[in-house]
Amino acid sequence: MIFAPTPTGALLGGGKDRVLLISSSNGMARVPARIVAVKSFLPERVLDNEQLANELGNWSADKILDKTGIAERRVVGEDQTALDIAEGAARALLDEVEVVPDFLIFCTQAPDYFLPTSACILQHRLGLPNSIGALDINLGCSGYVYGLALATGLIASGAARRVLLLTADTYTKFIHPQDRSVRTLFGDAGTASLIEAAEEEGACIGPFVFGTDGAGARDLMVEAGGARLPRDAETAVAVEDAFGNVRSAENLFMNGSAVLSFTLREVPKAFDALIEKSGVNHDDFEYVILHQANKFMLETLRKKLRLPKERVPYFFEHVGNTVSSTIPLVLEDLLRQGRLTPGTRYALLGFGVGLSWAGVSICA
Amino acid sequence: MSALYEGLADIFEMDASEITADTSLSDLTWDSLAIVSTIALFDELYGREVSIDSLKNCATIGDIEALAAG
Repeated sequence: MIFAPTPTGALLGGGKDRVLLISSSNGMARVPARIVAVKSFLPERVLDNEQLANELGNWSADKILDKTGIAERRVVGEDQTALDIAEGAARALLDEVEVVPDFLIFCTQAPDYFLPTSACILQHRLGLPNSIGALDINLGCSGYVYGLALATGLIASGAARRVLLLTADTYTKFIHPQDRSVRTLFGDAGTASLIEAAEEEGACIGPFVFGTDGAGARDLMVEAGGARLPRDAETAVAVEDAFGNVRSAENLFMNGSAVLSFTLREVPKAFDALIEKSGVNHDDFEYVILHQANKFMLETLRKKLRLPKERVPYFFEHVGNTVSSTIPLVLEDLLRQGRLTPGTRYALLGFGVGLSWAGVSICA
Repeated sequence: MSALYEGLADIFEMDASEITADTSLSDLTWDSLAIVSTIALFDELYGREVSIDSLKNCATIGDIEALAAG
């Protein structure tokens, strides 16, 4: 059963062309769907703090761990792409659940090609039937929650029953080796989740809240290499910034201060909106799973959200910030520990590049 | 201002008693991480956002204090 939105909004216009506006607070609510399983794939190569301290100078291995909470990251090989690690995660998942999805969504910001769509290549590589739908979405740290929203929408409309949601990114390929501000934080990973229409009483995904602020587009960016600024000799020139970090227009740039300010401004509001839209109290979420940016960001945000440590699970010490894969990596860890038993209510909050953010309430 | 000094002392990994309004930021590690940390400190202590540019323009601890007071 789907809980349909209540049409409480105003009617505009007249006659047969009138448009029905639906009050946002009563927008799409709970869809009886569940996250059946989550699996990850981590590239083999490890980049630890000793290596970083040797290469970057300035910061010791201990200081990197203290400031970021990250002990090591995984890094793809030169010939390995986001598509490859997404395939690894999908294979691990499909081997376990032994079902055939009828839709594939792949969230990445590092597609193999401008075209064709990476999800189409994955359909073939995974040996999935030609009858499935497949598409890519380009989002970063908020991407998993957006992917869940699309999967849930497909299920709610009856367009699909089993959605394979893949996330994978390889930010390490974008990072200049001498840019301490991002090299210490980001790692590569892929994840696969299976979202199914739920038969069980109570299991649901939703409601969702969303947010977008393109005014902050330049705060987290790889400027060169797309249609707006194609790569050329000039975009390859690396320069040192005021803080001693080196990068070119082809590298990842992060304005850490702006991203923190945005996070502290928008995520608490999004969480409050999610609480209100879900009709629950602050304490009703057993877990609030935040995008795993780094220890400093997470602890600052956790305190601002007034959440005790035991309700905010972390999983980043041995993988770093893996962009759209951070939230499913936490979910995989909680599932492995048996902590998402039926009836468990939890929230996901993703936020970052775009700027883009989203939250969802889930009942396992 | 003692809470501000304590917070800044944590950021600069020194004792709060070593900090005065005249302490020059160029003698400390006033890098991007310190600025990010100060934004978080303002949010925690005063519940408001401080602009990155205004922090970048600070030369002394006293300048940061003035931002906190303002």
